[in-house]
Amino acid sequence: MSDRRYFLKELIAGALASTVLKSPLAEAAFTAQTSLRYLRPPGALAEKEFLSHCIRCGQCGEICPNRCISFFNLENGVDALNTPYIIPREQACILCMKCGQVCPTGAIKPLERTAEDILGNVKMGKAQVNKNLCLSWQGKTCGVCYRACPLADVAIRVGLLERPFVLDGCVGCGLCERSCIQIPQAIKITPQHNIENMS
Amino acid sequence: MSSKITPFFLWRHLNKLRWAVLILVFSMLVLLPFLHLYQSYAAAHAYDLLEPGQKQLYDAMEWLTSPFIDDPKQDLDAIKGTTWSGTFWGLQVSDPLALAGQVSATLSVYWPFMLAGLIPILLTVFFGRFFCGWICPATFLYELNSILSLWLQRLGIKSGRRRFDRRLKYLVLLVGLILSAISGAVLVSIIYPPAIIGREIYFAITMGGFGAGLTFFVITLLFDLLISRRGFCRYLCPGGALYSLLGRYRLVRIKRIVENCNDCAKCNAVCEFALNPLRDNFGQECNNCTACISVCPTDALSFVIRPHDDPDQGPGHLSKQYKQRQSGK
Repeated sequence: MSDRRYFLKELIAGALASTVLKSPLAEAAFTAQTSLRYLRPPGALAEKEFLSHCIRCGQCGEICPNRCISFFNLENGVDALNTPYIIPREQACILCMKCGQVCPTGAIKPLERTAEDILGNVKMGKAQVNKNLCLSWQGKTCGVCYRACPLADVAIRVGLLERPFVLDGCVGCGLCERSCIQIPQAIKITPQHNIENMS
Repeated sequence: MSSKITPFFLWRHLNKLRWAVLILVFSMLVLLPFLHLYQSYAAAHAYDLLEPGQKQLYDAMEWLTSPFIDDPKQDLDAIKGTTWSGTFWGLQVSDPLALAGQVSATLSVYWPFMLAGLIPILLTVFFGRFFCGWICPATFLYELNSILSLWLQRLGIKSGRRRFDRRLKYLVLLVGLILSAISGAVLVSIIYPPAIIGREIYFAITMGGFGAGLTFFVITLLFDLLISRRGFCRYLCPGGALYSLLGRYRLVRIKRIVENCNDCAKCNAVCEFALNPLRDNFGQECNNCTACISVCPTDALSFVIRPHDDPDQGPGHLSKQYKQRQSGK
């Protein structure tokens, strides 16, 4: 009697577990991908490596003087839960490199705040100008993105009428996107993980 | 009869010290996000642009920290993080579970991070599962939850007292690490209450709302309250499992002085981890929380430095059972 009841219990528990695990909800939890265009903090490893190295301690966000680092909830899948990200239009990275120095796990590389270290190791993304939206390209001299860039003339240069050209030195900090006076912004960062997916 | 052995008189007050430490750790977790906000306001040089509430926060934090530091932007970086992983004046300290999680997720070893776990591992080898009793911010809330269940009982609402197999948590640890390895993400961190609490407090204060982890934590609280008292720590916590394994041969242990014991079993009743101090069975799970020492009416529990427990010493020498047995001989 008790044996049979135990067996039935096991059966029901097993059935419940399998329905929960195979439910669309569970599937969505692991394969969910946000439509947000987000950057990882400066000096972060490539996306897959980053996820396996990061222990979700939140120190990068806690030390960021610009408070640009936010943390994912479940919208980007369970494996990205509580990992740091940056939305450049809301608050961009000022490349102070404190997050890498405080990160204990190596998910964000410890770098010095020197042009050498930043240009060599930071790959958050790459800026792209939408010439149809850009004021300078439409003939109204602007040049705000150039002035916001911490790596002016290495990451971005301006031509005639302050028309911006993004150069190879761009590390994707997002300060140009943050400062663009057009709505929607005419210059956008394409995140590094998206660039890698495309190629 | 030999003279009565009394343990060092301060041991029975350690439980108060423990509560003080738990409160200190928890209040630091609350304070640090506020300090971070203050730092960011200071870094922006924008005091005049702050809203009234933010100005109050700025003033309060300035009042609190200005005796100790010169420049909030730099000097307050000294203490960052949570009990899951923190930085103290450049020294990085991490939970051993974080190390295990990262190793299983990456299937490789990043040595600087392993060094961050050195201090907690050494302390655990020496003091056993002390983190669970003395530092863990979840313990603070879980013990308050236990007290709440006692209050509810007084009102006639029965709280859960179910018991499960204590080895279940080793399975949780194993499965968590295997899932971390399969998914390539440190999944143990999302079911580990101290890590969750550190993050959620930070989110609530600086990001304007709790995250998904809070739901999980509330479920564990309800589990403890309604199904099994302190059940998550006892039966499910992966970090507790790892600490127990590391502290298996700990040197600092609690032992029963059988000559003083009267078998009142208060120690068993008060033990949050459902161990059996009354019959010398502490095992690897004991977190040296000293609640049993402080509750003992006859000073029959004390510390000893030894890598193993005593075998069962039988009934206490002050108990009826023992006296009857003696007179029967």
